[in-house]
Amino acid sequence: MTITQSPPEPVVRGDRPAPVRRRTRGAGRAGWLTYSALAAVVLFSVFPLYWSIVVSSRDQSAIGRYPPPLVPGGNLWDNLAAAFEQGNFGTALTNSVIVAGTITVSVVFTSTLAGFAFAKLDFRGRNGLFTLVVATMLVPPQLSIIPLYIMVTQWFGWANDLRGVIVPTLVSAFGVFFMRQYLTSAIPGELIEAGRADGASTFRIYRSIVLPIARPGAAVLGLLTFIMYWNDLFWPLILLNAQNPTVQVAIANTASGIEVDYSLVLAGTVIATFPMLIVFLLLGRHIIGGIMQGAVKG
Amino acid sequence: MRGTRHVLTATLAASALVLAACGGGQGESTDGTTTLTINVYGDSFSLPDNRSIYDEYERLNPGVEIVENRSDFSTHHQNLQARLTAGSGTADLELIEVGQVAGFVGQHDRFVDFLDRGVDPGQWTDAIVQQASTPDRSALIGLPTDVGGLAMCYRTDLFEQAGLPVDRDEVSELWPTWRDYVETGDRFLERAPDGVKWFDSGGHVFTGILGNEERTFYDRSGELIVESNPAVRAAWDLTVQAIRSGQSAALPEFSPEWNTGFQRGQFATVTCPAWMMGYIQGNAPETKGKWDIATVPGGSGNWGGSYVTVPAQGEHVEEAVKLAKWLTAPEQSITIFQEIGNFPSQRTTWDDPEVAEFSSPFFNDAPAGEIFPASLADAPVQISGPQSAVIGKTFADKLNSVEQGTPPDEAWQQAMHDIRAAAGAG
Amino acid sequence: MSTRRQAGPSARARLHRFDLKGAPYLYVTPFFALFGVFGLLPLAYTALLSTTAWSPRQPGSEDASVGLGNYADLLSDTNFHTALVNTFGIGLLSTVPQLLLALGIAHLLNYRLRGRLFFRMGVLVPYITSIAAAALIFNQIFARDFGLLNWLLQPFTGGTPIDWRASTLASWFAVSVMVTWHWTGYNALIYLAAMQTIPYELYESAAIDGASRWRQFWHITIPSLRPTIIFTVIVSTIGALQLFAEPYLFDTTQNNNGGSERQFQTAVLYLYQQFWANGRYGYGAAIAWTLFLITVVIALVNFLLARRIRSAE
Repeated sequence: MTITQSPPEPVVRGDRPAPVRRRTRGAGRAGWLTYSALAAVVLFSVFPLYWSIVVSSRDQSAIGRYPPPLVPGGNLWDNLAAAFEQGNFGTALTNSVIVAGTITVSVVFTSTLAGFAFAKLDFRGRNGLFTLVVATMLVPPQLSIIPLYIMVTQWFGWANDLRGVIVPTLVSAFGVFFMRQYLTSAIPGELIEAGRADGASTFRIYRSIVLPIARPGAAVLGLLTFIMYWNDLFWPLILLNAQNPTVQVAIANTASGIEVDYSLVLAGTVIATFPMLIVFLLLGRHIIGGIMQGAVKG
Repeated sequence: MRGTRHVLTATLAASALVLAACGGGQGESTDGTTTLTINVYGDSFSLPDNRSIYDEYERLNPGVEIVENRSDFSTHHQNLQARLTAGSGTADLELIEVGQVAGFVGQHDRFVDFLDRGVDPGQWTDAIVQQASTPDRSALIGLPTDVGGLAMCYRTDLFEQAGLPVDRDEVSELWPTWRDYVETGDRFLERAPDGVKWFDSGGHVFTGILGNEERTFYDRSGELIVESNPAVRAAWDLTVQAIRSGQSAALPEFSPEWNTGFQRGQFATVTCPAWMMGYIQGNAPETKGKWDIATVPGGSGNWGGSYVTVPAQGEHVEEAVKLAKWLTAPEQSITIFQEIGNFPSQRTTWDDPEVAEFSSPFFNDAPAGEIFPASLADAPVQISGPQSAVIGKTFADKLNSVEQGTPPDEAWQQAMHDIRAAAGAG
Repeated sequence: MSTRRQAGPSARARLHRFDLKGAPYLYVTPFFALFGVFGLLPLAYTALLSTTAWSPRQPGSEDASVGLGNYADLLSDTNFHTALVNTFGIGLLSTVPQLLLALGIAHLLNYRLRGRLFFRMGVLVPYITSIAAAALIFNQIFARDFGLLNWLLQPFTGGTPIDWRASTLASWFAVSVMVTWHWTGYNALIYLAAMQTIPYELYESAAIDGASRWRQFWHITIPSLRPTIIFTVIVSTIGALQLFAEPYLFDTTQNNNGGSERQFQTAVLYLYQQFWANGRYGYGAAIAWTLFLITVVIALVNFLLARRIRSAE
């Protein structure tokens, strides 16, 4: 069960084996037109974030200025500090790391296991169960929030508790689906058979054959999962209060006072986005490699 | 593959630890401190940078720590409902707005009954107490914090530019009735500065007009009377007339655009419950001195107010009741009025010099301490029902659609349709 | 594994048999156990809820069964119809340009580029930005009176600002821009990955035959990408049917109404409004299940179409 704004888009090309041919270098050398078009795309992609910095580096009145300000002012650090304090962002960042981190570990673990079973093991009911997995991806996440809320708080007593955010999302249908598609094409059937011939148990095969091959796919899944739950708003907003928020809940709360200072609100969005941006800058190459590899292998 | 296993074991152990660790943090801590949580919307008892009222209580009651959670109006009430339904997760104290309270009175067994707790309801006007009581008056689920009162805040600078009087008594004389207010709006527009409208939004005026009515959406027996109530239709028609003559800046209440409108002076008047004073000061500090406060058309009215409740599911009901009583006692109400602007609901406080002689420098030293009690003196307290808040929002939306060009009759039909559907559920 | 070392040969055989038959179930158990509790159970409960008139604001309504009454009401509920139309409209307006743009961007990224990583990371930035943060930013950009976009458009609109939330089309456009902004780069990378598996010789021989770059794109790239395209279409369609966060946050009045006249109220937003704001638990549950069924039907149609296209290849 995933409670998210929008499912990440899986990257699957059916059950065909991955092409043997080496990657080729595309359709020729780029001209200036290509460069300028791409630059425009990047500008469009980055501009809203730039603009959030502009607004959060000014004061409350900037939002009503006409023409709107286009370059940063001098209040960035003051606003960041004030927003950090007011929005309880210290707790929020820690909480988000715990929530997204735990869910990621669990989703990757359970998805790899189940994905392996669906991809490479024969068992009665396999197709039926897998159809069920696919079908659950169609459930709108907002659908069962009330029953879920009653369960989490009444049965387990987890209102305002991170466990209530984490536990219902420890597994993901998308994750199972993703790993199944990935492993189907990534692991040659002969490898499993060879393992069996050597008398290896299923678990041993899983451990010494499947896991190493699964690692790139699992990394991509982990990444997508982490991003998704770092950015998740609605379930945490219902379950957590302002004293114990995740970053997205904290952003929502800074925008919810009677007096709303938009330079502070957007400073909050900067705080929430920044950790992801840093991770992205550091690991960008791997993230992109992972997404693309996942797309081809899957 | 040893490495993989280590990683797996380690992460599983880590997540187990994390799950165990993040369970704590509620209720009693080891040193015997009681933590009382209070969920509010907006600036009810504190400001983002000022929680002196809680500090004071903690000083008087060693061993008690107060933690306030604020969220926005909708989220606050929706979450409260969800947590009541689920039977856990509410704070020790929960604030409920007057428009929402009727829906919660129906669930009175989920709240502490203050009549059992030695509260004297006589300190408030009967009608205010009635709204948070069951129809048979056998249970009282909330203690009144503030009342709105009703006045008209106006921009002296814009009035001057449009050739209208600036003095607050003369201004008050411009609009003995709401019809006069709308006619003055036409006069204002003739000579108004470029782009400046008469009022902020149709929905806001509509609520203001109805602020002088006792029966609006429900009657005393709980029957829905929106469609048959001539007062509602009259308020709608007058608002529509004002909108069509171009008086509305069409900035929906409580939206970011509305806030900007205050800062930029996009409208010359705004219907002003007492809590609006704090709102304007917080949102548009640079407009200090440009505002003044006149009496509301019709002379009286009320808008807004809240109740502090104690959900029965809490772990610290006794301490919570004690805090609720303290927060709503006259002395604290006066402090809150001075610091935030929320007007106290106890009549006895109105004669207190600290309230009666209060004037606001931000509003040109307007005698707020006189204006709001006067507006409340004859104000009826409105009868509300379970879906009063939803109905109010529906009207605000539909008047906004008129502002955006929808034919008024069509908008009215849609409003009635939506209200019928919503009220059918409660 | 210590168990194996201790077990005798027959026990070992039994173990092996159990391992073959039982292990798969063991592996899918963690998923299905948690999924059963937190996925299926609430789903079933919602179905049950949808046959009641439960509203927490009406004491005693919890047990008031109305059978399929809620579903019957839904059929004639014009607001629900509006929400469906909005959902499909915004869905088309966001999915089609999004995927076309992604294709184009992927094509550009597929050229031999200096600063390849920079461009790839640049287009992916929106994907790592949360929708909550993005919506707050876009709300300012699309503001009617002092918004950035209206300022830029001034020369074309002649001083009358566009009220992006007032007209149906304008609000659909604004919401679609948010969706498109968020997902385009991600899809572009997926297309790019697929493009890179196309053998270069195909382009070479086409070039020798005198095919223009446009013809190469159209006749080599697109056909090779077909499976990937089909999949992104399916997934985007499902995502569009569940669209919620963007319209929810774009309505700055917090009424969950998706504009004064429900101009951009999507089906899930309508569900949310009825459920949470209006306290109609039973009716909300009925909307939830109806939506679920619609999604299943559309997904099925999608899958069948995809299969047909694939087998036709």
